[in-house]
Formats: sequence, structure tokens, C-alpha cells
Amino acid sequence: MAEMEVERTLERLFARAPESSDAEAFAERVQRRLDRGWAARRVLIGAAGLVGGVIGASQLIMFNLFSRAEAASSESVQVLTSGVRQIAPQAEWLLNGPAGIEAIWLVAGLAVVAMGLVLTRIIEEF
Amino acid sequence: MSRAERHRLSSLHDVELASLAASGDRQAFGELVRRHGSAVRALLRRMGISATETDDLAQDAFISAFESIAEFRGEGTFGGWVKKIAARACVRRIQKDKKYRSRLEAADLLDESPPEDPGRRMDLDEALKGLGEAERLCVSLCYGAGLSHAEAAEALNLPLGTVKSHVKRGLDKLRARLAPDGDTMEGRRGNG
Repeated sequence: MAEMEVERTLERLFARAPESSDAEAFAERVQRRLDRGWAARRVLIGAAGLVGGVIGASQLIMFNLFSRAEAASSESVQVLTSGVRQIAPQAEWLLNGPAGIEAIWLVAGLAVVAMGLVLTRIIEEF
Repeated sequence: MSRAERHRLSSLHDVELASLAASGDRQAFGELVRRHGSAVRALLRRMGISATETDDLAQDAFISAFESIAEFRGEGTFGGWVKKIAARACVRRIQKDKKYRSRLEAADLLDESPPEDPGRRMDLDEALKGLGEAERLCVSLCYGAGLSHAEAAEALNLPLGTVKSHVKRGLDKLRARLAPDGDTMEGRRGNG
């Protein structure tokens, strides 16, 4: 056989692989591994989001960011406060309560964390 | 997976399945594994990997293919693409084996193949077993996985000239061992 012919024959023979009797079982094994990996990834992303959120929230509380933000942008806080009052006059008790505006900031922070978790889930699914 | 879903996936082209897999559809990727699993495992066996290791290595190759499925743009066949991934994974596995590695490098000076019977015609799997390890690996990489000589040299971390000479020697031996039509298996069966 000429070299070119040998090469073509070899390519043809390599391409003609016999169908394994356990082809279906093999595909299932691969798919199970993919599913396991996917589940682990979901847990990991969720856990990372949760840990990040908790760290973020604790940092906010520990460094007393609420009061700093209040001092730094009292105007924006006033706007926020008046906005909240306009939207929900019944929230007066919350603003005047023991936690005051800090509670609102805390709730807002937790909402951001929750949104982060939802977002990671959406990114993961699509 | 329902029978209807299975039927729908089996009617799709590889490129369409790859596109679905790229968007995270693991069932679509499963169909690709069903179609190409046997070919990938056959290639690994032909590269000299044991039957037990072949399954693990092929699974790793498919997982790796799924993770980088976005890189498959349908320019070649999916089968060819995944075979290249598997062949490179196989080379990496082989390179971890220091004994094998040293034999591969020494094979340039040493012809390890058993003596051949010039009158006997073989099928590909049998004929490949008669090659030295390096020849078998280089021939499988170039003609089974579709790597160029340069790509094979890079994957094996060997000089291009060395790979070319392994391929040349392998081809010379295979030329003598394979029937002209390359269809010895069917021929033997036909003769009873």
C-alpha cells in the first residue's frame, strides 16, 4: 500500500469504532457524574452567597456603618425617611422605635443579600 | 427522561445538542455521550490504555468536554473534538507514569515491537498491539484523534522529528500488517 493509502485506511479504521455493549450504561455513568457535579456546584454557590451575605451584614453592623452613613449623608437619610413616611405612614413606629433608621438599613442590607442569592440562582439556572 | 424527550434528543444533530448542552442541558449532553462514548473508549484502548482505566479516562474526558462545551463551535465534528480532548487527557495520564515516560523517550533508539509474521493479516486493534508504545501512541494521536504531527509533539512534549519518525515507523509496520482494504475482521468472519 502507498503511504497515502495507508493513511486513509488508518483514518477510516480508527473512525470505525465498534459500538460498545455498555454504551447506554456508560452514558448514564457520565450523566450521573454531571448531575453530582451540578448539585455540588449549586450548594457551593448558595453557600458562598450565604457566607458572603453574612460577612457583609456583620461588617455593616460591626463597623457601625449605619451611623457613619447617617452622618455622612444626613440629607439622603432625611429623603429616605420622608419617603418611607410618605409611602407607609404606619412605619412611623419603626423609625421612632429603639432601632430607628438602623433597622431600616439592616432590612435593606438583608434584602440586598437575598437579592444576591436569587441572582446567583438565576445565573446558575440560565 | 421521558421517551418523547429521548426521541426528540435523538433526532437532533450533534451541533444542536452541543448548543443545548452549552446552555446547561445535561440530557442533551448525555445524548452526545451515548453517540460518541464507544468511539472515545475505543480510541483510548487503541492508545494502549487498559480496559479498567479507559472507562475512567473517557468519563473524565466527557466531563471536561461538558465544562468547555462553549468552545465547540461546530467547525469540526463533535466526535473529533471530544476525541482530541480524550487523547490529550490520555497523554497527560501517561506522562504521570515515569516508567512509561522514560520508555517513550528511549523508544527512539529501541524497536520494542514483537517480530511479525509477514503472511498474517490483522485488524486494526491487533495490528496496533504489534507496535512499540511510542509508535502506537503517535499513530493513534495523529490518525485516531486527528492531531497534526506538531500538535502530537506538543502534547507528548517530544521533538517534532521524533514524533514524525515514530509515525513513519508505525505506518511502515501497519502497512505490512493490515489488509489492503483494511477490512480483515469482516473478511475473517466471512470465511467462517
